[in-house]
Amino acid sequence: MWHINGFFLVLKAEIVRAFIIMRRYWFASIISIIMGYATLITIVYGLMHTPSSVKEMAEKAINGILGFLIGVFAFGIVGLFSQGLQGMARTGELEQVCLSPFGLVTNFLARSFVAALGNIVSSAIMLILVAKTVAENLHVAPVETLVLLSLTYINLIGFGFMVGGLVLVFKQTGQMAVIVRFAMIGLAIFATEKISQWPMFARWVAHALPVTDAAICLKYTIIQGQQVIKYNELGEPIVRALEPVLDSAGKPILDALGNPVMNRIYETTFSSVFTHESFFFLILSCIIWTAIGIASFRFMENWSRDKGTLGAY
Amino acid sequence: MNTEYAVELEHINKVYHTRHFFYRDEETGRRRWYTKKTVHAAVDVNFGIRPGEIFGLLGPNGAGKTSCVKMISGLVRPTSGNVYVEGLHVEKKRLQVLRRIGVVLEGTRTVIWPLTPLENLNYFGNLRGIRGKVLKERARQLLDFIGLKDKMNVQVRRLSRGQRQKLAICIALIADPSVILLDEPTTGLDVQSSHAIREKIREMTRAFNKSMLVTTHDMFVAQDLCDRIGIIDKGKLIACKTTPELLDVFSDKTFEFRLDRIPEPSKFLSIQGVQSVALDENGEGPVLVVSVEQEETIRSAALYEIISLLRDDGYLLKSVSMRQQTLENVFLRLTESTTPSVKPIVSAENQLERRV
Repeated sequence: MWHINGFFLVLKAEIVRAFIIMRRYWFASIISIIMGYATLITIVYGLMHTPSSVKEMAEKAINGILGFLIGVFAFGIVGLFSQGLQGMARTGELEQVCLSPFGLVTNFLARSFVAALGNIVSSAIMLILVAKTVAENLHVAPVETLVLLSLTYINLIGFGFMVGGLVLVFKQTGQMAVIVRFAMIGLAIFATEKISQWPMFARWVAHALPVTDAAICLKYTIIQGQQVIKYNELGEPIVRALEPVLDSAGKPILDALGNPVMNRIYETTFSSVFTHESFFFLILSCIIWTAIGIASFRFMENWSRDKGTLGAY
Repeated sequence: MNTEYAVELEHINKVYHTRHFFYRDEETGRRRWYTKKTVHAAVDVNFGIRPGEIFGLLGPNGAGKTSCVKMISGLVRPTSGNVYVEGLHVEKKRLQVLRRIGVVLEGTRTVIWPLTPLENLNYFGNLRGIRGKVLKERARQLLDFIGLKDKMNVQVRRLSRGQRQKLAICIALIADPSVILLDEPTTGLDVQSSHAIREKIREMTRAFNKSMLVTTHDMFVAQDLCDRIGIIDKGKLIACKTTPELLDVFSDKTFEFRLDRIPEPSKFLSIQGVQSVALDENGEGPVLVVSVEQEETIRSAALYEIISLLRDDGYLLKSVSMRQQTLENVFLRLTESTTPSVKPIVSAENQLERRV
């Protein structure tokens, strides 16, 4: 009970602090939003200049953006435990947090929750704006999205705690953490169901990292609307309609024989994300990372107190 | 465990090991594949702090003062030995101990610069489990008490170093702890700020009956502020006494006789109990400096005889005074003695019983 109360008190303190700093440094806050928007627009244009239909281009763009946002989410949470923790040691804040009677784990849970909340709100706004720009519909499934975001958060927290534990003892792990964080952005962007076709080793590495299955599930829910293609008795996808592929000027693209190139729109059926293979990997990875993360963080915290490195940097 | 103490360190040892790969020795320039260094930050340290007492931990840089503070607050784990705060074992009941202590670590790194003092207190109050009206009232009371009421809405980055240090003390007090640990609270402060902080520390201890541990290497601060002082050097507690007792340790009972003309020093050496005689002269005239024995009866007789001799020889005795021992002298004499034959000067009441 003490730790639950502590979590909410620290949560309140962190939210108030974040708001005060955001309000006080409003110019920096606006600049960061503009920078974020500019980055997303660059990615959108990059993705939309690949030769395919308007529909496909829009889907690819949204897929990329969503992956990017999930990657940034992971980047931020893991960053809080790596560079963030290192910075706290440098300013002396880490020792102050360690002096809190709620313990380091409760404090970091609350801190990361605030960071995640801010990230999710800003990412949602960005995603909606970009989707409007490319005229792509997003599927809002509140329960599924909330469950998936929560699981993603728990997963990342577990992983973050493990990284944070290492930073507590070995402060100079920053560059290694940066590589891992960028790898997570890359995985989040390119993670699709096609992962099952990857070589065995790459597939397991991808599943082991906490962001891959989370990205697959979120993309499946938000972009595909939990729709899977239907197949006939012969195992072929059932085509619902054919649509001409248009060029950037809006004219149909013709093949060598002068016929318009057609895009197949397949028959789909609803299949809940909770029955998706990646959802089970996500839950598994949540359990494993949370257990490993918190256990290793506690171990490293004690080791760090033995070595006296809490205030060192 | 001694229940008399609010804080107790019992046979504390702390050893830091550092391991280096591909190491280059900075002194010799030699390169090694691997080297391991050992630093003893605390060697069998024993002391206790009573409720309502200001205990000073004095020592040169790197002596182990901060390590002791961090071991009491649970930021560092002792290699062996036990630390108790209000009867609670720091390692076993760390989170409960943290509810009872307030810590100001060295420097002003403990405050958040973009926030105001009031916001800092609200933030750290929440982190320590205080909320609502209680927190608001306490924050304002503390700022008023420490003299930052008119600066409570100014960002910390715009405050002076002394004001930031005062704020750090307020943060340590926000949860109303019974034990306060102050690591070098006056380092780098100007005379006024240092004086103001010392006054507040004294006031706090007396008014709220707090137990206070102050580490410093400023002799004046220690002598002025502390009820009891422990001197630590190379991790060893080499002295632990009340401030007057400590000042008395190396007191050689030297007396100064200010006269109208220069006397003959050798005449006084034959007096029983006189150990040494010297002459000193300054603008106010010659001074006969006589060291006498510690034993009171012999000392008294020797002083009477000196005065009688001076009267018989027709000297005008302008004044007689005892040369004051300073903590700085005591400290230097204790810390200069690096030979292992120097016995720790710890009074019986400070010597804790070994637990079986």
